[in-house]
Amino acid sequence: MSADPSEGKLVIDGVRHAFDSTPALGTTSLSVRDGEFVSIVGPSGCGKSTLFNIVSGLLVPTEGRVLIEGRDVTGSTGHVGYMLQKDLLVPWRTVEGNIVMGAALTKGVGDADRAEARELADRYGLGEFIDHFPHALSGGMRQRVALMRTLAFHRDVMLLDEPFGALDSQTRFSMQQWLLDVWADLGRTIVFVTHDVDEAIFLAGRVLVMSPRPGRIAATIPVAIARPRSLESLTTPEFVRAKREILGLLYAGGPGTARPREATAP
Amino acid sequence: MSRRTWLRATGRAAVPIGAVALVFVVWGVLVRVLDVPRYVVPSPAATLNTLREDWPRLWGLTLTTTKECVIGFVVGAAVGFFLAVAMAQIRTIQRIAYPILIASQAIPIVAIAAPLVLVLGFGLAPKIVIVALIVFFPVVVNTLDGLNSVDRDLLNLARVMDGRALRVFLNIRLPATFTPLFSALKIGATYTVTGAVLGEWTATAGRGLGNYLLEQNARLNTAAVYGAVLLLTAIGIAGFLLISALERLATPWRTRSTARRVVRLRRRDTEGER
Repeated sequence: MSADPSEGKLVIDGVRHAFDSTPALGTTSLSVRDGEFVSIVGPSGCGKSTLFNIVSGLLVPTEGRVLIEGRDVTGSTGHVGYMLQKDLLVPWRTVEGNIVMGAALTKGVGDADRAEARELADRYGLGEFIDHFPHALSGGMRQRVALMRTLAFHRDVMLLDEPFGALDSQTRFSMQQWLLDVWADLGRTIVFVTHDVDEAIFLAGRVLVMSPRPGRIAATIPVAIARPRSLESLTTPEFVRAKREILGLLYAGGPGTARPREATAP
Repeated sequence: MSRRTWLRATGRAAVPIGAVALVFVVWGVLVRVLDVPRYVVPSPAATLNTLREDWPRLWGLTLTTTKECVIGFVVGAAVGFFLAVAMAQIRTIQRIAYPILIASQAIPIVAIAAPLVLVLGFGLAPKIVIVALIVFFPVVVNTLDGLNSVDRDLLNLARVMDGRALRVFLNIRLPATFTPLFSALKIGATYTVTGAVLGEWTATAGRGLGNYLLEQNARLNTAAVYGAVLLLTAIGIAGFLLISALERLATPWRTRSTARRVVRLRRRDTEGER
């Protein structure tokens, strides 16, 4: 598989990574269109987090390039928004202070940043909590703040690494719907890693299935469910078909070869 | 302050004040019941009486000792804090400073008090150094702990956001030291008095409560010794309370769910806009 660097908002071009001599990520190519929502699922240790660390610039790949809007950004930071399962809110800053973290760490927080943070919080239902410290918020609310922090960092490409993995299933479903609303509003390009097959299908326009270590993209499953999606989308024939296909790929080696749950530490 | 918060504040203060009063009561009862001679253990009344009679002199001595405590505390805390920051930022400094740091705590303070006086004279300096030596160690250790406690993923996120080194330090690493730093400062505040008294016993110029204590002890004026001890204890407690109050101001996220002042200001803003 190779990707044409001239097309695609985010292009991962022949990226491969090994820690010392241990392969962590097999040669991977991927092109994500502007405004697309792509999910990645794969067994534990398939290198999903390694891939994200490479795209975000934290890790320089052994081989290959990362392009954003045609520009080579391999090994350089500051080009994507990044969100993890851990909300990583700092306890000493209020909701507003956490949302403007990107500005605080770069150019300094201005009135415009604060106004934007308040507007985001108002629009997405956290307006009255703007001056709360994170410890006073529920897990779902904290993840919403973490996503607002990612939005306020103003990068078109956002990497979400199992952002709802620690939430209970009801909260998780409402967060998924909310994320789709945000995505429809703001039209960002999202790459979403999860171990939850339902979540991957419900959110994305296509699901990439990775093979076990060293991971590669083994298959691309298009999800042709109409948007906006709702609870009913979860039981459509298209959903079930995609799910059957993905589960088949994940558990192709029989039970025990693939563990869907994986640690997210980069 | 509303009536209710005032009542709650009084209620909070009543318990510790009651506990201290109880200690005095038990002390008084024991002295009377066991018929302890005044020169062995004086009664609380005798002690307070001596305090009152000698107050003009004691007040000046208390100020001197307090000054030694405060200056030594500030110096020790500042040196400890900046040393910890330097150690966390530059590994070479950490490698050089760590053994010296441990050695500085292994030396018995009592043993180096006399040599310190030879070097620094009989005035304020040796007392400040001794107090600072006692305070700075917990500050270094706890500040280092705080700096190292920051989640690696958070530092990675800061990198992904292209965070500038100084801003990452000020916004992420520095605030992470506050909680452990204040724990160290509270320990330090109560230890300062010990350091100051030790310094006064060795360096006799610029007299403080420690000198008074020795002098009255030689005269078997035990009530005055107890009086001096009460004043020294009061200095330590005052320091502890002051640091605790500062802690509440500096780390509002630990005791409150919102930043209240900001809310009030913002309300005024939006009302102005309407």
